[in-house]
Amino acid sequence: MTEQEDAMPQQGSSTPPEHIRVVVADDHPMWRDAVARDLADAGFEVLATADDGRSAVARTRATVPDVLVLDLNLPGLSGAQVCAALTAAQVPTRILILSASGDHQDVLDAVKAGALGYLVKSAGREEFLAAVRATAAGEPVFTAGLAGLVLGEFRRVKAAGGGTPERPIPELTDRETEILKYVATGMGYKEIASTLFLSHRTVQNHVQNIFGKLQMHNRVELVRFAMERGLDLADPT
Amino acid sequence: MARTRHGAGPEHDGVPDGEPGDVPGGPDTELIPAPAPLSDDELPAAVSAPTVAVLDDEHAIVRGLWRGIDVFRCLALAYAVWSVWERHEQIAHLVGAVAILGVLAGWTLAVTLRPVRTVRAYTIELAIGCSAILATRLVDDPDVITAGAKTIPSIWPTAAVIGFAVLRGWRGGLAAASLVAACSFVEVVEPTPNTISNSIFGLLLGGCIGYCVDLARSSHAALAEAMRLDAARAERDRLARTVHDGVLQTLAFINRRASEIGGEAARLGAMAGEQERILRTLVSQTDLAEVGRAVSGDADLRGLLRHVEGDGVQLVSPADAVLLPRRVADEVVAAVEAALDNVRKHAGDDARAWVLLDDDGDEIAVTIRDSGRGLPEGRLEEAVGQGRLGVSASILGRLADLGGTATITSGPAGGTTVELRIPNRRTTRLTNRHHGRRTPATTERGPQVGTQGRGAP
Repeated sequence: MTEQEDAMPQQGSSTPPEHIRVVVADDHPMWRDAVARDLADAGFEVLATADDGRSAVARTRATVPDVLVLDLNLPGLSGAQVCAALTAAQVPTRILILSASGDHQDVLDAVKAGALGYLVKSAGREEFLAAVRATAAGEPVFTAGLAGLVLGEFRRVKAAGGGTPERPIPELTDRETEILKYVATGMGYKEIASTLFLSHRTVQNHVQNIFGKLQMHNRVELVRFAMERGLDLADPT
Repeated sequence: MARTRHGAGPEHDGVPDGEPGDVPGGPDTELIPAPAPLSDDELPAAVSAPTVAVLDDEHAIVRGLWRGIDVFRCLALAYAVWSVWERHEQIAHLVGAVAILGVLAGWTLAVTLRPVRTVRAYTIELAIGCSAILATRLVDDPDVITAGAKTIPSIWPTAAVIGFAVLRGWRGGLAAASLVAACSFVEVVEPTPNTISNSIFGLLLGGCIGYCVDLARSSHAALAEAMRLDAARAERDRLARTVHDGVLQTLAFINRRASEIGGEAARLGAMAGEQERILRTLVSQTDLAEVGRAVSGDADLRGLLRHVEGDGVQLVSPADAVLLPRRVADEVVAAVEAALDNVRKHAGDDARAWVLLDDDGDEIAVTIRDSGRGLPEGRLEEAVGQGRLGVSASILGRLADLGGTATITSGPAGGTTVELRIPNRRTTRLTNRHHGRRTPATTERGPQVGTQGRGAP
């Protein structure tokens, strides 16, 4: 998946950046510093940085930022495990995945475990800052690439008979499928809204519903998910 | 055993093909079997490594068989000696018989001390065995032979039969056994029940052991291939990790910083960004499953369409493979390329395009949308009317051939959307699932062209 040129479908945020508090987790010092500097320059408050999965969980739990900017491939815990640990601990921090990798399954796992968006590292600076703002506002950062993955995941689950008995994944409505396909072909919310004669807000609600259907909400699920992937949530740090 | 024999020396090639003095019956050149496999392509190995010329590719089963042959040959010699001893009163020319046994013993000693697993060595051994069978006629009375007496070498030539089975598979085993059987028949003149049953036994032995060796070799080859693939994948995974952890990050970082600095640096940064994209695509290639699918004849559209990415085109695909039979997939790829050509020609310079792959179980949909100018109302029909529609031949025709559909629409926000729908052959297996989602366009048969100006002005 390459969405380096991907325009953010939505730029929406009313929260002033100076009130957005961020933790940056990346094992590459170069990247971590650059991202932190960009954020600070743009008026965000960088509370802490982390260079592996366990410290990402620990520092996020300790500081409870608005947004955790999380590298997908951290040593110690994977991005999905960090998401699962934080969601299971009911940390209200919203998570934006930033990754150099195009590993599809890892991205999907992270989204299921609670990440609100995904951006490749080759995304531009402005695109990145807009994504952090959107994440802070609780809006999914839904690039075309991620929409394609999410659509594929719903197709797969449906073909497999609707998820597992413990965790039935609801099917998408026709309207949601339609919107997902539009997002996956690079259309912004405004374009989608005008195409479907819907309000911008309605499109956003549909997108949030799509995310909600995919994500795991209860702790039991998350614990099972994390344990299947080798993480004991009893000792997340 | 008063005579000195030669053949006991270490030089296997020095063993004569027969013993002209003592065993006058050996026109070896006629006795050597001439099946095609008996080429001497293995001779260099024997010359360069005369002590243990075991082929490199041989594995445990074959090596075990070779050791078994060595043991068998010694036991067979002992049995032959005992047989002669037991009936020495019947033998007309005992000295001749002992001489024959001496030759057999010499060869046995030589190849036991310095095993040579080559076609040439076993050809010599077979020749010795056959000569010994034929020479029985010279040392025994015809009456004794007709009465069913054993040949002088008895079962000793069987070692050569098994040797050929190991060297050349079932064909080699059968050929050698046939030769030994032929010699036995020549020797007895009037076949006895023993001759017949021994010959059948020899043929079965040569054929069966040869067949087993063939099986062992092919399964060994398959195993080696699997191990090779596994090692290749491990190596690729290792490289991919390194590239992910270092090179991609650095290239992306250079791109990011350079584009902020601007000017000349921005151009360099763009080059780094392009390399990052290519490299990321390379290292994210799927693994052995792809090889498996290649064998089954299915192709993953995600892999086949990878090359369209770049230049403002983004491929959007699911995490799982989007499988189509290879031939169908190639047609779909050609149709997508045609649609993207159209985008490049008509959508404007700064237009971008997305290619979405969606497999809903019944159909595989490929959507190509661009952010360009879109189609003016009626232009498509106009073009069809004028008989100059590039998309007609390359997209609609291809999809019709595949039993699919192609729809071309123009969106209100500008841009053109081409949707290709290809029936999924898995549909037959999944008929119990029903989709209420079908739109009229997808249920129609055959290609269709429509310019649906959808949405608000």
